[in-house]
Amino acid sequence: MAVDPSFVGRRWGPFRYTVGLEKLREYVAAISGGAPNLGLAGLPDDVHPVLHDEAVAAVGAYRSVIGFPTFAVTFAMAPFGAAMLDPALGVDLLRLVHGEQDFEFLEVLRPGDVLTTHGDLVDVSRRGRHEVLAVRTESINQNGRMAVRGLFTAIIRG
Amino acid sequence: MPSYTLGETFELVREVDRYRPIYYAGASGDFNPIHIDPEVGRLAGLGGSILQGLCTLAWAVDCFARYLGDPGAVTKVHARFSRPVALEDTLTFKGVVTEVDGQRLKASLSAENQRGEAVLKDVALEGRPPPGGPR
Repeated sequence: MAVDPSFVGRRWGPFRYTVGLEKLREYVAAISGGAPNLGLAGLPDDVHPVLHDEAVAAVGAYRSVIGFPTFAVTFAMAPFGAAMLDPALGVDLLRLVHGEQDFEFLEVLRPGDVLTTHGDLVDVSRRGRHEVLAVRTESINQNGRMAVRGLFTAIIRG
Repeated sequence: MPSYTLGETFELVREVDRYRPIYYAGASGDFNPIHIDPEVGRLAGLGGSILQGLCTLAWAVDCFARYLGDPGAVTKVHARFSRPVALEDTLTFKGVVTEVDGQRLKASLSAENQRGEAVLKDVALEGRPPPGGPR
């Protein structure tokens, strides 16, 4: 069953997320060939210290450990996830694949940052046999600054 | 002092070990069953679990961030997921600098599996390289 295009404009959120130092480290471990459990596997040697080493990062340009840019998915994906699970839209999760992704990283992420994210359904259309759904997200930090913009495009396979 | 040059290339290789989608799920919160349950992956017609597209995207961004020398200098990314990534695939990311104007650097990138099939398409990256080179 196709998603009704009249749902374009529907909003999910706000979702609040507080960035934690260990979550930043777990994420870097998982994308760097390690396991998100430092005691088990440790971090590979070639990972940039600003992503995990507090002592080195404190005297660097950012004065703090920072998040790897795509760590933003942990909070920015919330409205997209909520949309895909929204019974009103009725998306068949077994036919769902991630089609495209856009991010703009406007502020670096530091431990203790609080991000508030909402997302709007901006597209419901057909692409051949498939259906395309797109959710545009905005994540604003505790200083009221736009930190991350995302565009999550899902394909519902026909 | 390091400089960034038009046409310069950079590369990263990543192996998708059997637990990668589970590690990535734990770290990112993306627990979609098609990534962590091979049975659901088969039911979805994908032949088993597949890696989260956003993990592949993170590797593309990491390839660029390592070239810039500063993960905080990446400002934009766009990518289309053109093919599922299976367990035990090996992905090769190859980037090339397409524009440098001092304040801003743009790059494109290819991402292929061990059979030379593109898993990402239309990848566009943008960064703000630190004036003094990587920090």
